[in-house]
Amino acid sequence: MASVRKLERHQARTAYLFITPTMLLFLVFTVIPVIMALYLSFTNYDVLSRKDWVGFDNYRRLLDDQLLWVTFKNVFLYAVIFVPFNIIISLALGILMNRAWRGVKLFRTLNYLPTLTSSVAAATVWIWLLHPEFGLVNGLLSYMGITGPAWVAQTETAMLSIIMVTLWQSVGSNMIIYLAGLQGVPDYLYESARLDGATKVDCFRFITWPQLRPTTFLVSTLSIIGALQLFDQAFVLTQGGPANVTKTPVYLIYQQGFNQLQMGYASAQAFVLAIAILIFSIINMRITKAEESVI
Amino acid sequence: MKTKKWLMTGTAMLLVIGLLAGCSGNNANQNNTDGSTNAEGGNKTNAKAVELTFWGDWGGEGQAQFETMVDVFNKSQTKIHVKYVLQQDMITKFLTAATSGGSPDILFWDRWRTSLYAPKNVLHPINEYLERDGISRDDYYEESLKELSLDGNLYGLPLTVDARALFYNKKLLAEAGVEPPKTWDELADAAAKLTKWNGNKLEVAGFSLGDVGLFNMYLQQAGGQMLTEDGKTNFNNDQGKQVLQYWDRMLNQDKVYKVGFEQGLGEGQDAFVTGKLAMQYTGPWMLSTYKKYGKDLDFGIVPPPAGPNGDKASVMGGFGLVIPEGAKHKEESWEFIKWWLANKDNALLWAKTSLNIPGYKPALEDPFFKDDPFWQPFMETLEFAKVRPNHPGYSVMEGDALTPNLQLFQQNKQSIEDTLKKAQDQGDKLLQDNLEVK
Repeated sequence: MASVRKLERHQARTAYLFITPTMLLFLVFTVIPVIMALYLSFTNYDVLSRKDWVGFDNYRRLLDDQLLWVTFKNVFLYAVIFVPFNIIISLALGILMNRAWRGVKLFRTLNYLPTLTSSVAAATVWIWLLHPEFGLVNGLLSYMGITGPAWVAQTETAMLSIIMVTLWQSVGSNMIIYLAGLQGVPDYLYESARLDGATKVDCFRFITWPQLRPTTFLVSTLSIIGALQLFDQAFVLTQGGPANVTKTPVYLIYQQGFNQLQMGYASAQAFVLAIAILIFSIINMRITKAEESVI
Repeated sequence: MKTKKWLMTGTAMLLVIGLLAGCSGNNANQNNTDGSTNAEGGNKTNAKAVELTFWGDWGGEGQAQFETMVDVFNKSQTKIHVKYVLQQDMITKFLTAATSGGSPDILFWDRWRTSLYAPKNVLHPINEYLERDGISRDDYYEESLKELSLDGNLYGLPLTVDARALFYNKKLLAEAGVEPPKTWDELADAAAKLTKWNGNKLEVAGFSLGDVGLFNMYLQQAGGQMLTEDGKTNFNNDQGKQVLQYWDRMLNQDKVYKVGFEQGLGEGQDAFVTGKLAMQYTGPWMLSTYKKYGKDLDFGIVPPPAGPNGDKASVMGGFGLVIPEGAKHKEESWEFIKWWLANKDNALLWAKTSLNIPGYKPALEDPFFKDDPFWQPFMETLEFAKVRPNHPGYSVMEGDALTPNLQLFQQNKQSIEDTLKKAQDQGDKLLQDNLEVK
C-alpha cells in the first residue's frame, strides 16, 4: 500500500515537473499581461507619456461608443451563421471521410489544405474569385444567366463573402477533429444496435451524435471564440467596409490602441469582448450540456 | 467535473484577453535583439565615428534606395556612420523604443502622424537647428512643413511630397474624341463618352469613383474645407452637397462606374493597365508601375479638374525624417538630415534613385522634373495642393464616420442629406473622442 502511494507521489511530481515550463510561460505571457490590461483599462495609458488612474471613465465612454456596438452586432451576426454551418459541414465531411474508400486519404488532404493556407493569402485569392466583373464566381453565375453582385463591395453580400471564405478555411481542421471523434466511437455499439434492427439514421441519432458530444463541444467553443475575434479575413477582404458592416471589435481595438494610442480605452474594449466571449461560451456549454463529463 | 468545464472556459477567456497585452510583449523581445545587432555593427566600423541608427519600414526596393543614400553619406565624411535598420511594423516598435531607451536616432516618418505624436514629447523640435544653419523655410512646400509642425514647433523636414492628379489613357480618349478635362463638367462629359457597357456588364469604366476617401479633394474643389477652425466637421453644407450631386450624376445618371469594379485587382490586373478604366485619380507612386508597360499603356497626366467656381485642389501627402526625443546623438542626426534634405544635389540624387518628388524645392528646378511630361503635371498640382487637417482624430473621423456613409450613398442606400448629416454627427463625436492627446 505504501509503495503504491509512493509511486503516485512520484508520478505526480513528474507530472508537475513536465507542466511547469508551460504554466510558467502561460503565467508570464498570458496571466500577468491580462491582469496588467485590466489595470490599464482604468487608466488613460498611451504607451508614451501618461498612465493616470481615470476610474470608470473608459467604461463609461464604452456605453456611448456607437461604432463599438455596431462591430459587436457584426460579429454576433457572423457567429450566428458561421458556427452552426461550421459544425454541420465539418461533421458531414468527417462522416464522409471516415469511410474506408480507396483514395479517401487524398480527399482528407484536399479538404484540409485550405486550413494550411495563410488566411491573408487565401483572402487575397478570394478577392479575385469574387470580383464582380472578372471573378470566377460571377463568371459561373453568368453561365446560368445570373448577374452576380459585387460581393465584397456591397453591404448585402460583404458579410456573406466573409462567412464563405472563413468557412472554407476552417472546416478542414474541424473535420480532422470530428474524424478523430468518430474513430473513437466503439464499433460494438453499432453492432448491437444493428442486431436490434436500428437504421442508419437511428445509429447516427442515438449513437454517433451523443458519442460526439465532447467533440462538438470543443468544435463549437473554438468556433465561437474564433468568430468573435474575427479580424484578418475581414481586414483583407473588405477593410471593415462597406459602410462598417464588416468592421469587427478586434479591428477597432487594434485601431484605438496602436493607431490612436488610447491603450487604456482599447483595454476596456478588449475586456468587454472577453466578457462577451465568456457569456457565449457559457450559453454554448448549456446547450451542449452532457449528462457525462465532456472533458 | 463541473469545475473542469469552468476551468476550460476560463482558460479560453484568458487566452482572449492576452491578445492585446501579448502583442506588446513580443515587441519588447524584438527590440532586445535589434539592440544587440546594432552593438555588433558598431564594433566593426571606425571607433571614432558616431554610430547612428536610422529606422524605416521600407523593405525591398525602398530599402535599397535608403541604403544608397546612407552609403553616399557615410563615404562623404568620417565623423558619422549611419546604419539603416528595416523595421516591419515600425510605429509599434517605436512606441516601446521611445520610452525604453532603444530609440533610433533618425526615424522615417509618415507626416500626418505628427499631430498625434508631437504632443506626447517623443519627437525633437528642429526649429533651432534650422535657424542656426540658415536653412530657408521657403525651400519647402509650406503645406508639407505645416504637416510636420505643431504649436509653432517644427519636428522634421519633408523627404517626399505627393499629390493626386488625373491619369488618363491616351488611346481611349483619342478613340472617343475627347480632350483631357480641365473642369468638373468636362470630366463628367468625358467620362460618359468613354464608358462602355455590354448589357449588364461594365466593359470600360470612364472614370474611377472607387476611392471615397477622395471626398476631401472634391470638397476643396467645390470651395469647401473638411474641418472648421475649431475642429468640427465642415462638410454638411452646400459644398458637400455639390460633391455628392456630382458623384450622383456620374454614378447613377451617366453610369460611368460600378461600385466594386476595381476592388482587389492586383498590379497585373490593374483596370487602368488593362484598358478597362479610362481615367482615374492617383499619385506619382504609380508612375514607375505604369511606365513599365511602355507602349502597351499610353497614358498622360493632367492636374485635377477645377470645381464649379474654378477652385483647384488636391491633397498633399508624403514622408519626412524626424529625430526622436530619445535619440542619443541629435546633433549628428541633424547633420545627416540636413545633408539629405537641405542640399540640392543629394535631394536630387534621392529623387532619381527612388523616383519620388523630393521635399526640397531647389531640386525640382532640375530638368529631370521640370521638362518631364509625367512629372510636370504633379509640379503644377503641388502648387495648390493642401495637406490633411492637423487633427489627431482626423483619420479616424474619415475612416469610421465619413467613408461608411459615403459608401452607403454610393450604393443608393442613403440620400445626400442623410449621408452628410450622419457623417457630421458621427464624425464630430469621433473628432471629440480623439482630440485629447496630451
